[in-house]
Amino acid sequence: MATLPVSAEKLIASFGPSLNFPPQEGFPGRDEPDDVIKTHCCFCGMQCGIKLLVKNNRVVGFEPWEEFPFNEGRLCPKGVQRYLQNNHPDRLMEPLARVEGTGFRPIAWDTAFDQLTANIQRIQAQHGPDAFAMLSGVSLSNEKSYLVGKFARIALKTKNLDYNGRLCMVSAGAGNKKAFGLDRASNTYADLAHAEVVVICGSNVSETFPTLTHWIWQARDNGAKLIVVDPRLTPIARTADLHLPVRPGRDSALYGAILHQMIKHDWLDHEFIANHTSGFEEAKQAVADYDLEWAERITGIAKEKILLAAQWWGPAKTSFLLHARGIEHHSKGVENVLACINLVLASGRLGKPYCGYATITGQGNGQGGREHGHKCDQLPGNRDIENPEHRKYISEVWGIEEKDLPGKGLTAYEIIEAIDRGEIKGLLSICFNPLVSLPNNNLVRRALDKLEYYVCIDFFLNETARHADLVLPGSLQEEEEGTVTTAEGRVVRIRKAVNPPGNARSDTSILLEIARRLGAGKHFDFNSAEEIFNELRVASKGGTADYFGITYQKIEDHMGIFWPCPSEDHPGTPRLWEDRKFKTPDGRAHFHGVPYRDPAEITDPEYPVILTTGRVVSQYLSGTQTRRIGKLVNQYPEPLLEIHPGLAASLGIRQRELVRVVTRRGEAEFPAQIVETIREDTVFVPYHWPGRKSANQLTSGHLDPVSKIPEFKVCACRLVPTGKQAPAWEETKAYASP
Amino acid sequence: MITTTFRTDQEFFLDPQRCIGCHACEMACAECETNGHEPMIQVDYVDRFLSPQTSVQLCMHCEDPVCARVCPADAIMKDEFGIVHSANTARCIACSNCVQACPFGVPKKIEPLQLMMKCNMCYDRTSAGKKPMCATVCPSGALFYGTRVEMTTRRPNSTPVNQFRFGRQLVRTKVNIMMPKGATELVVDGEEASP
Amino acid sequence: MISTLNLRAAAVAALATFLLVAAILLGSRNLANFDPALVAYLFGCIFACFGVVYRYCVWLQRPPTWRYFARGWQLFFSRRMVVYGWELMKHFVGDLIGQQFIRNRGMTLGYGHRLMASGCFLAFAVTFPLVFGWIHFGLKPGGIDTYEIYTFGFKTGEFPLHTWIAEVIFNALNWSAMLVIAGVMLLMRRRLTHAGQIAIQTFEGDWLPLIVLLAISVTGLGITLDYKFMGGQAHQFMAITHAITVILFLIWLPFGKFYHIIQRPAQLGVAIYRKAGTEGPPAICPHTGEVFDFKMHIDDLKDVTAELGFDYTRNDGTSHLDLSPRGKRAALATAHLKAREQSGSFFG
Repeated sequence: MATLPVSAEKLIASFGPSLNFPPQEGFPGRDEPDDVIKTHCCFCGMQCGIKLLVKNNRVVGFEPWEEFPFNEGRLCPKGVQRYLQNNHPDRLMEPLARVEGTGFRPIAWDTAFDQLTANIQRIQAQHGPDAFAMLSGVSLSNEKSYLVGKFARIALKTKNLDYNGRLCMVSAGAGNKKAFGLDRASNTYADLAHAEVVVICGSNVSETFPTLTHWIWQARDNGAKLIVVDPRLTPIARTADLHLPVRPGRDSALYGAILHQMIKHDWLDHEFIANHTSGFEEAKQAVADYDLEWAERITGIAKEKILLAAQWWGPAKTSFLLHARGIEHHSKGVENVLACINLVLASGRLGKPYCGYATITGQGNGQGGREHGHKCDQLPGNRDIENPEHRKYISEVWGIEEKDLPGKGLTAYEIIEAIDRGEIKGLLSICFNPLVSLPNNNLVRRALDKLEYYVCIDFFLNETARHADLVLPGSLQEEEEGTVTTAEGRVVRIRKAVNPPGNARSDTSILLEIARRLGAGKHFDFNSAEEIFNELRVASKGGTADYFGITYQKIEDHMGIFWPCPSEDHPGTPRLWEDRKFKTPDGRAHFHGVPYRDPAEITDPEYPVILTTGRVVSQYLSGTQTRRIGKLVNQYPEPLLEIHPGLAASLGIRQRELVRVVTRRGEAEFPAQIVETIREDTVFVPYHWPGRKSANQLTSGHLDPVSKIPEFKVCACRLVPTGKQAPAWEETKAYASP
Repeated sequence: MITTTFRTDQEFFLDPQRCIGCHACEMACAECETNGHEPMIQVDYVDRFLSPQTSVQLCMHCEDPVCARVCPADAIMKDEFGIVHSANTARCIACSNCVQACPFGVPKKIEPLQLMMKCNMCYDRTSAGKKPMCATVCPSGALFYGTRVEMTTRRPNSTPVNQFRFGRQLVRTKVNIMMPKGATELVVDGEEASP
Repeated sequence: MISTLNLRAAAVAALATFLLVAAILLGSRNLANFDPALVAYLFGCIFACFGVVYRYCVWLQRPPTWRYFARGWQLFFSRRMVVYGWELMKHFVGDLIGQQFIRNRGMTLGYGHRLMASGCFLAFAVTFPLVFGWIHFGLKPGGIDTYEIYTFGFKTGEFPLHTWIAEVIFNALNWSAMLVIAGVMLLMRRRLTHAGQIAIQTFEGDWLPLIVLLAISVTGLGITLDYKFMGGQAHQFMAITHAITVILFLIWLPFGKFYHIIQRPAQLGVAIYRKAGTEGPPAICPHTGEVFDFKMHIDDLKDVTAELGFDYTRNDGTSHLDLSPRGKRAALATAHLKAREQSGSFFG
């Protein structure tokens, strides 16, 4: 419901976010822990190894895990502070029922389950099974992701299941599937070490994947030239050999122009193109007119720089191209990705040592989560929910009739729109905070009002959960066994360090119990995470994301196994395409013609400035976890509007003046941070905050036609200086909902 | 009680240009109870208006530590491994002479405690043969702790330098800074190096 | 040079010791009021006096210490004596009596130190005058229930026996022993459980002082317990071990951790120095443009570092010390960036 049961201030007083700091003298017993658990960070897709120190069923600290091969002990500030999500005063420990006027009242689990199943059954009886939707997230382990996919289709019987990966890297996934027939980073980061040229397209690596920086710096120590494409001069771009400050939303023009130069100068691997690819002519045709003058006009990058990038990229012997949300969060996200892949394919530098291509998957289990079934169009093993063969196989594994398996449902943002249109009446969410993370969140709030019943599983009362009818206290990452798949495609083990505190329960046990009460118990007879994983292995067998040969034991023995791994004696596949056998129907890698088109919303006299959004190093996604950790909050406590001094001067904006940013969807005020490190036509706001500080009040709901990823990275705005200096951040109710 | 297994073959190598300003080192440092959750390493923007460049500074452990020399209370000691220790809590009178005299801007005076604290290169860890926390977690290699051989193998085109010039003052330190190959000192300000 | 320094300190220490002995002779009326049982303690005190004064003088001769010492007194005896005197009082009460800054370093430390310090000072206040023969007690002539107090041989009070006042006075050392034991227990517990302490503590610097204080208190308390409950059977043993531990404390006072008791009041000098400094012109960092200290401190430091043989003067006559700590860190990062840029490569 849109109206909160009591004011946001009162909810914040009871449920936070409050800031967790370690006690001054440290948690008692930290120096003599009961247990030291080798597991992984709960945050981004790097999934750095970390050791958690456990004392009396509490995580009381961490130690670097120096043996884990990807990060060798290295961590970012989020990783260092991640243990403070445990022992948190805001932790939910009882099921909570909404009570108008007073907030939430603790209730017994049994009552909660009764209420929940009654409402699911009522809504589905009245409006059909698809009127109850489910939203999930990829901070969940592979086991839980798989379980959610099966739960929604078999227990909840809805087709409308989607996940927050829809806001993350679906356009990369879709692009990879189109081009290679498989969705995974083609190489591990070890292939960066001796790449001659490293191109980073739209990724603020140093803030969003800090531990990846090491590998890039290592490449540079070995002489690599670094090219960074970003509208802002980020820390990774600061010392880059070439920084291409692209105008937001014009990425595919840049990559088209570079392909144009490669063709013009014949920096092509003809053998590779002829023998292992298709569609080159189409791609060539699309960029025929994309000369340097044109590219400079569209992208706003000096043509000399574009030429230099092409001169470095074109004839290089080895290279690694990385991209992330900067090119993916667009209404043409898939096209941007395909334009990048075209560059890689044209160079032929793939499937060889130090010849790499990868999307840097963002969320903790963004990779594994998107393969195993809580995506609206997908079944485990990265199978297609509309492919009859795939449906048949999974139905057999699950022991159901193929006709009982729902088809393709709506994507995350479309589910919210369907709720707003009154088509979806009930919602179950887990691990997703759409009120902060979805674009145009004024619409999200309005939609929540129209729900007849909303139940949320989470360990903290996140901003969306404040609107729920029922909140079920679930588990943290360190409270369940499982696996996740890192951005490199390495399947690693998540260890249970502690039990959920109080009456909180593991996410798995909650889902299993709901399934049982909905009458699907026989399909959900799991006694351990490993049993779920073993079913996942079978379900993924023969799919492109084949986990069949991966076992818990094998992962532990090797500190991770790279999929595909089709049989138990298979060592896993760190580097893809060495065999040149692409997973497309014709077995070739596909070029795509990517004609340039503008972003969905372009500037005009009324909204003359480009607004782009992104992240800061101390916060993670919608901040449900990181806005509760004291030192992370103090590092960057409120969103600032980054603005170029030229633009600021033209509007008379002073340093730290409050500036109102207005778009067609809403407005918000941010303190100005005047810096020379951003394009003059663009302003930037990080998005991790809710309520009045939420950048997503402004962003547009335009979706990519293929992947349905929203266009977070570009929209048109107007800046109105308020004439007031921004107050200290503590004085602004950054977290209150309006 | 300290049982020292300090590894004298390991050294600290600092490279400010690799710093990405993430503050992981500060947070990891602050985890240590020895310093009461106060970070002893400091990361700051040099000038955020112009650039995202950050400075990252830990104690360089000078051969002749000016902090100890200007301390009126004999509170700062250098040990046999060259580690310049944080102020002796019983002696420090919080005058902040060390804070202002240190050419690297390292010591911190913690007002409510009436105490200066500074980096002791994670003495609790290094004396037990472990690496300092900041260098273990640093995601970008701005802070590296290991043997000289390891460092020169990884970065053959840079030279570790432990000599700094501040005005007319030459300062030699235990901690190295990674300089372009062939460099012999870092001139921070004032007179250029005379060959 | 070293020998002249030591000579000067030795002369002052000898003078101080001489004055102490004179005061003892005078105060005890030519040892008439002196308790011969305390002679060992007396020699311990005289040695401690020499040692403490000697070390204090050596310490004062260090340029930074002398600068603060001289500045402190110079300020104190200036025209603004009232202001600085008031500042001194505030810090005396807040820092030395209140010990708030120690509380801020940790609750256990704060309470433990508080108890220990109270016990010690109470014991000092009783013991030294007794040992020096400056105070003695006597039964009021012509009665059996009133005690008289004599200070420097003059009667300064009397109190009835068998009342609570008498209990309090006679047992003052026992009370102090109990305070010290309680404090030592808290601090020992902290040293055993606090990871940060465990990491950096040493036997000599951190455990020995606690053990010495504990030994003094336990044996001192033991003397009372012995004659109260054991009929004095162990008196010899208790008295000797107590004397040994106390004398150990006195001899160690100038060298070990306990010297901080003598040194700590220098904090008051720093307090008035800072008070004076903040009233004068500030030091503004040319890099950050912000006030980071007061100018007198930076100017004094330039002199002190010069005296010590450091020269941070730059070509333009300014000094590296004109920069704030943050400014210095930025200067190093900037210089490094410049060196890297000039070499044409950030990496390698």
